[in-house]
Amino acid sequence: MPENLIQNITNNHTDYLSDESRRFGTARSISFPKSEAEVIQVIKDIRSQGETITTQGARTGIVAGAVPFGGHILNLSQMNAIGEITPDEASGEHRITVEPGATLDEIRAKIAPTSLFFPPDPTETTATIGGMTACNASGAKTYFYGSTRNWITSLRAVLADGDTLTLKRGENFAQGRHFSLTTEQGQTIAGPLPSYEQPKVKTAAGYYVADNMDIIDLFIGMEGTLGVITEIELRLIPRPKSIQALTVFLPNEDSAIKLVRALRGEGSVAIEFFNSDALDLLRHIKTESSAFENIPALKDSFNTAIYTEFHGESDDDLEAAVMRVMEAATALGGSDEDTWYATTDREMEPLKAFRHAIPEAVNLIIAERKKTCPEITKLGTDMAVLDDQLETSLAMYDHGLQQSGLQSVIFGHIGNNHLHVNILPRSMEEYEQGKALYLSWAQLIVALGGSASAEHGIGKIKAPFLQLMYGDKGIAQMRALRKLFDPKTTLNPGNLF
Amino acid sequence: MKICCCIKQVPGTTEVKINPETNTLVREGVETQINPFDLYALEEAVRVKERMTAAGDPSTVTVISMGPPQAEDALREAISLGADDAILLSDRAFAGSDTWCTSYVLAMAVKKLQPELVICGMQAIDGDTGQVGPGIAIHANYAQASYVAEIQEIDAKKLAAKRLIEEGYEFCEVKLPAVLTVVKEINEPRTPSLRGKMAAKKAEIIKWGAAEIEAPAEKVGLLGSPTQVVKIMTPPCREGGEKYEGETSIIVEKLFDVLSCMEVV
Repeated sequence: MPENLIQNITNNHTDYLSDESRRFGTARSISFPKSEAEVIQVIKDIRSQGETITTQGARTGIVAGAVPFGGHILNLSQMNAIGEITPDEASGEHRITVEPGATLDEIRAKIAPTSLFFPPDPTETTATIGGMTACNASGAKTYFYGSTRNWITSLRAVLADGDTLTLKRGENFAQGRHFSLTTEQGQTIAGPLPSYEQPKVKTAAGYYVADNMDIIDLFIGMEGTLGVITEIELRLIPRPKSIQALTVFLPNEDSAIKLVRALRGEGSVAIEFFNSDALDLLRHIKTESSAFENIPALKDSFNTAIYTEFHGESDDDLEAAVMRVMEAATALGGSDEDTWYATTDREMEPLKAFRHAIPEAVNLIIAERKKTCPEITKLGTDMAVLDDQLETSLAMYDHGLQQSGLQSVIFGHIGNNHLHVNILPRSMEEYEQGKALYLSWAQLIVALGGSASAEHGIGKIKAPFLQLMYGDKGIAQMRALRKLFDPKTTLNPGNLF
Repeated sequence: MKICCCIKQVPGTTEVKINPETNTLVREGVETQINPFDLYALEEAVRVKERMTAAGDPSTVTVISMGPPQAEDALREAISLGADDAILLSDRAFAGSDTWCTSYVLAMAVKKLQPELVICGMQAIDGDTGQVGPGIAIHANYAQASYVAEIQEIDAKKLAAKRLIEEGYEFCEVKLPAVLTVVKEINEPRTPSLRGKMAAKKAEIIKWGAAEIEAPAEKVGLLGSPTQVVKIMTPPCREGGEKYEGETSIIVEKLFDVLSCMEVV
């Protein structure tokens, strides 16, 4: 092991005590391993000292999963090799093997010269693939392509005692709700999987479990609690020959929801929503900050927006779908003049900038408010509901926000019935008021069969919601499962529960 | 009012290569775009059209570009952004034109179309000369105002413009017909709409060669260009500076010493 692999925390490491949740933790030491052998060495060394370990990638998560609760920080950003792209004869697809610290941007750059495509698209493209795997990241195109889970065929992990595992999709299945695995060192880990049923909506809350499940899926979305992922094999598919996108502006929220319903039969790969407060926030921030000057201008008449994207084999096929969407939008008060339409990568840029600018603007405003009220943070919801509850959930958000007078924006993945409400508190009083409102929504959404965390994960911030979803019994079963892999809770204490 | 907007198709990247034998840009296989400054010209032309039409003077925007056949893509994009029709000035005889000659060719098209107003971007991002707009005005015998930051008033006979100059702004009145070159602050270009893109797809791009604009062979292309590019070279890469790493207090002290030695502080 290199002599300086484990370093004491100094003032130069302050950034590593936090992530995009803007919560701060503490740690005694940090390492930046460059290989699986170094990861094993660090884990054994730290564990022998009785310390805990927090795994980090790019620290782009927003539920504090990478914020250390004391102990050691295992930062994987320098373990970022990207292998060669190889054909997979059995599936007709291609594969690429990557180390966990490779970022989505780096993987996309590697793939760019080919005609291949890796669909997962979290908004933050500086995220590492290790982080994306650990929280089963999603994005706008999850609506059609599914989350990161669907695009992982194999992974390697180092367990809390330094043993290693290779999990290949299709090779290790549970028997009902009982699993058994053997590490490469010959240790058998076996036991019951939690008995809860996951909500039948997009969810990233707690361990993924199902009858006779493939055990690789237990490790995708485990938030670092079962092991440290050291290698991931990804599926690559042919890049669609034609990609077209639309941002349709509509006169009100009702029209937007009706358009979403119409879009569901048209083969969209993404359906995104932006409410009038989100559009107003962009109008405001564009005049306030030069960082936002490239966001396209928004007419005063624009009230609510729906973004949708189509992938296909030819421009003509997609154009037919676009025209059908426009026909529906026109009947709902939209117009072809007030619809942005992009058919090239360059034309897509302003549409993406518009989407990305909303959370960025919220973060900027919160950072400004923290100067006078350091304790406040953004309150961002991440809940998904069943298809027939979409209108109910949006009405619930609108009613609560209107009654409270809190500043907010609503945007996100409406195709998956998954909206982000971002509350922007101006004071501690509003912060507490927002937290209470958020909890009341979570209670109702869980009661309606939804998920309290659809894509951000649980981390250290949303643990109460996991309790809400699965109760004491579910948490106890998850805790027991974790103990099978990590009896001393060395890895990522505080994540999930 | 009849309005013309002149645009240029330029490389979509700053990673351009020069053919060392011909001293010209290698355009094959390079992504292209409308010269970004021309997007402001186009937006202003469309806004003047909307303004004049609303005031009871039905107006049109014709977009013109001199270039190879693939410049048709740029013209279609201009239609998606609000132009009504487009003319491509393309002829083998135009090859090798310098800024004098390019402005002559564009001016001959302007003379044929006889618009009241011609709007150009302040310069192209590949050549950076800023000469073509004013050159069109001279060749076409139009009035001109360059670096326009705002069209404050406009009617059928004249316009009031606010020009960006080094010391601040200059306010001037310009008789029509006139050529304006515009700066970035004049407006914010719109995003292509579905209506615009569909119109662009269906549009017929008019193609004019030297014969259609009655430009004699000796006045276009290399023959008509008083300037020639003798040599183009890529400047050597700048060497990286010195990087200090370590404890903040120590490196700040080190930097201060270095700056003191250089008598900067």
